[in-house]
Amino acid sequence: MSLSSHVHEAIIPWTQFAKELCDPARVHEKPEALDDLRVLDCSSGNFAGLFASSILAEFGAEVIRVEPPTGDVARLFTPQGLKHKDSGLAYLVEARNKRHVTLNLETEEGRLLFARLARHMDVVIESAVPGQMDAWGIGYRQLSVLNPRLIYLGLSTHGQFGPRASRPIPDYDITDQALSGVPYVTGEPEGQGPPDSSAPTKQGNWMAWYVGGAFGAFAVLAALHWRWQSGRGQFIDLSPGEAEMRFSDAGVIWYHAAQRIQERVGGLHIQVFPYTLIRSKDSYSFIAGFSDVNFTGLTNIMGKPELKEPFATTKDRILKARQLHQELEKWSAELTSDEILDRVQDYMLNKRGPGTVATAKLNRPEDTLAEPHWWERGVFQKVEDADYGELLLQAPPWKMSATPPRIKWACRPVGADNQFVYLKYLGLGAERLQALKSAGIL
Amino acid sequence: MAGSNTQAYFEWTRELFDRSKIFDKPEALRGIRVLELTTLVLGPTTADFLGEFGAEVVKVELPPGGDTMRYVTPEATYWKNASLGFFPENHSKYHVGIDLHSDDGKSLFKRLAARSDIMVENFRAGTLDKWGIGYRQMRDVNARLIYVADSGFGQWGPFSVGRASYDAVAQTVSGMIGITGFPERPPILCGIFIGDWFGGLMAAIAALAALHHRDRTGEGQFIDFAQSEGLIRTLDWTWVRQGLTGQDRGPSGNRDQALVPADIFPCRDGYIAIAAARDAEFKGLCRAMGEGALASDPRFATLEARQKPEHMSALLDRIRGWAAKQARAELEALGAQHGFAAVRVATAKDKHDDDHLRARGSVWEYEDPLYGKLVEQGPAPKLSETPARIKWAGKPVGWHNHEVLARLLGLTPAQIKGLEEQKVVGQWAERPGAKPPTEWDGRTRI
Repeated sequence: MSLSSHVHEAIIPWTQFAKELCDPARVHEKPEALDDLRVLDCSSGNFAGLFASSILAEFGAEVIRVEPPTGDVARLFTPQGLKHKDSGLAYLVEARNKRHVTLNLETEEGRLLFARLARHMDVVIESAVPGQMDAWGIGYRQLSVLNPRLIYLGLSTHGQFGPRASRPIPDYDITDQALSGVPYVTGEPEGQGPPDSSAPTKQGNWMAWYVGGAFGAFAVLAALHWRWQSGRGQFIDLSPGEAEMRFSDAGVIWYHAAQRIQERVGGLHIQVFPYTLIRSKDSYSFIAGFSDVNFTGLTNIMGKPELKEPFATTKDRILKARQLHQELEKWSAELTSDEILDRVQDYMLNKRGPGTVATAKLNRPEDTLAEPHWWERGVFQKVEDADYGELLLQAPPWKMSATPPRIKWACRPVGADNQFVYLKYLGLGAERLQALKSAGIL
Repeated sequence: MAGSNTQAYFEWTRELFDRSKIFDKPEALRGIRVLELTTLVLGPTTADFLGEFGAEVVKVELPPGGDTMRYVTPEATYWKNASLGFFPENHSKYHVGIDLHSDDGKSLFKRLAARSDIMVENFRAGTLDKWGIGYRQMRDVNARLIYVADSGFGQWGPFSVGRASYDAVAQTVSGMIGITGFPERPPILCGIFIGDWFGGLMAAIAALAALHHRDRTGEGQFIDFAQSEGLIRTLDWTWVRQGLTGQDRGPSGNRDQALVPADIFPCRDGYIAIAAARDAEFKGLCRAMGEGALASDPRFATLEARQKPEHMSALLDRIRGWAAKQARAELEALGAQHGFAAVRVATAKDKHDDDHLRARGSVWEYEDPLYGKLVEQGPAPKLSETPARIKWAGKPVGWHNHEVLARLLGLTPAQIKGLEEQKVVGQWAERPGAKPPTEWDGRTRI
C-alpha cells in the first residue's frame, strides 16, 4: 500500500473506509479463501447438505455435486410445483458455483467410481440414512483408508450414534425444526386464536436445514484447520435438528435450574420487554426498549413518561407484558410504521435523551427488495447464468477485505460437468463415459 | 442393508464418537486466541462457537455491569446470582473487565489484540473506530489479526448509520417474520434469538475461512457481517421466485409448500412433525395410515401432483385426522418402521430428559466449580478426532483479570492493583447478573 493511500484511508470517515475495504464491485479482483479445497457433495434431497456446500463454494472451493442419473430429488422441491426450465426453484438457489455430475450409487461400479473420486477430495458431504454409505462400502470407514486426509460430513436427523441413530428415517427440515424444540416456543398460545393457529409454529423458511448447513460448513472448516496442523481428516456427524437446538436460548438450562418449561407467547417475549411487534396505522412494527434506560428512552419518544413508574423494573415489564403491549399499541395505532421509525431515529441521531431504542417496519419480502440498502451492499444479486438466464439470488452475506466470497454461476443441468470432471479426476474420455451411461452407471 | 453390517457400523460409531473420550482427544482450534468485545447474543455466540472447538476466548467487558445479557434472563429471574440467558453463549471463556473509555484501558486492549488471532466486536458501525480501537488501528498493531465486526445492518449503507438493531429487528427487516406464522393472524416472533444465533454462527464461519487464508498467506483481514443479511440468506426460494414470477411470499402456517406432505399435527399427547416428500416414503406413510390406496391415487401418487395446493390440502386433512388419534411415540415408531420422517415437537423437558441427546452430548451435563451441576444445550457437530466441548460456565465480570493480565501481558500483582485503583481494570457490580453466587468462598477463582 502506498503512503498516500494509507493517509487517505486514515482520514476518511469510517463508513467510507469500510465500504472501500469491502467494495462488492471489486470482489472478483481479490483472491478466494478456499480455492485449494475440493468438495464432493452427494447429499440427496437435503438443503442442509446443499447449503453447506454452497458456503464452501462461495468461499472458492471446487464443489462437485453427485446426483443420480435422474437428478437429485431436491430439484423437485418447489412451491406449487413451479419449474424454471428443468429445475424446481429452491435448487436454483443452492447450486451456485457447483459442478454437476451424475453417478448411480445403487450400482457396484458407480460406487467404485465414487471411491476413486473421493481419493482426490478434501471433503465429502452426504445425507444418507446412517449406515447406508458404510453398507455400500463408501462410508467414512472405507474412504478414510484410501484418503486419510478426508473430512467427511454426514447429515442425519438422529445422528450416526446414540440410542435413536439406527432409526432409518429421512432427514427433513420440518422434523429437524420439531427436534430443535424451537416451534414449541414459537407462535400463539392455546386459546389466543383459532385452534389451528394457536399451535407450535415453524419458521416459514427451511430454518433447520439452513442452520444445519451452516454448522456443517463451520465444522468442516474447524476440521480443515486441524488437518493443517495434523495432516489428518476426520468424520463429522451432524444433525440439523440438534444444530438448531443449540440455538434455543435458555431453554434447557431454565428447566434444569427451575423446572420451568418455556411456552409460547406470540409476539411478546419472556426475557426482555418491550421487545415486541405492535400494530401501526398501516402495518406492524417491531420495537425494543427493554433495559431501564432504554425503556426511559422509549417512553420519551412516546411522550408518555407516566408509563415509567408502573413499569419501573425489567420484571414489571415482563410480567405485565400484555398490559404494556396495549399501551404501546394505543400509541402506535395513530402512527404509520415509517412515522414510528422517523420518531425513533430523530431521538437517537439527535441525542434527544437517554437510551437506545430500536424499531423496524414489518417487511414482506417485496418490501425488503424495495429498500436500496441491501442492493448497495450487494445482498441481492441478479445473476446472469449461462443455462438458466437471469436469476435474482441472495448473495453470500459476508463482506471481507482480503478474500470475499462470491457467486460465479447459479446452476447447471443434471450431468452438465460429466465430461470435465471425469476427465480431470479419473482420465475418462467420451467413449468410456458413453459406455458407462449406457450401462446405467452415469 | 444387511442387519449384521448395520449393527457393526453402529458399534463402530459408538466407539468413534464416545462422549466419555472427548477430553482424551485434541482440540481443532488449539492455539487460536479470540478477543471478544461484545454484548447480548450475536457477538458472544461468534466467539463461543470458536471456543467450543478449542479457541481460547478472552471476553472483555466494561466493568462493573458488563455484558447486557447478564440482565436478560427468563422472567427476569436470576439463578445463583447469574442470568440464565447469559450461560448458553458464554462457555469456557476468560472474563476480563477493562474500562475502554480510558486511554490506559484502550492501551491494555490493544496489547491484548496484539496477542490475539481473531477479534470480535458488535458495536454500531464506526463506534470502535471513534474510540481508537477499531480495525484501522488494530491492523497496525497486528497485521495477522482477523477482525470480525458483527452488526445489525453492516458497516456502511443507508441503514448502518446510527440505527440500533437486535435479533428481532433482523427477523423483521429480512422478511423472515413476513413469511412465518399463519395467514390472517398477527405476526409472531421466533421464540428464540434466531437472528443472533444464526448470525454468530455465520460470522464464525467467515472467521475460519479467513483463518485458512491466513494459514496459507499469513495475512489477516476485516470481516463485516450483518445479522439481517444472514437471515435474508436463509429464505430459500423466496427471492428467486419473486425474481422469476413477481410473486411475493406470505405466511403459510406449518405446511411446507414445496415438500408434500410436511406439516405439524396435533396428536394425543402433544404435537408431531411428519414429512414424506419422496414417493417411496409417501407409500410408507400411506401403509402406516392403513390407507395404501392413497399412494396410487393420481392426486397424490407423485410429489408433483401432491404439490398442487388443492391436493395438498386434501392430503394434509387426511393425515391430520389420522395423527390426532395416535401418540407421539407411536408415530415416531411408525416412521422408523415405514421409512418416513416423524419427530415430536420437543419441549424443554423432552430435551432435558432425552437419553439419546445426552449420549450425543447435544444435551450436556457438567460440573462447574462456581455454579455446580449444569445442564445445557451442548455443541452440535460431533467430530471424531477433535470433538467440541464445554469446560466451564460463564463467570462474573472481571473474574479472570489477574490470570489474563499476568499470563498474556506480564503485569505484576502490584501493577494490576494500580490499574484497579485507577478504575482502568475492574470487576463485578454488587448486583445479580454481574456478581458471584452468595455461597462463593471469596477466594477460589477457577
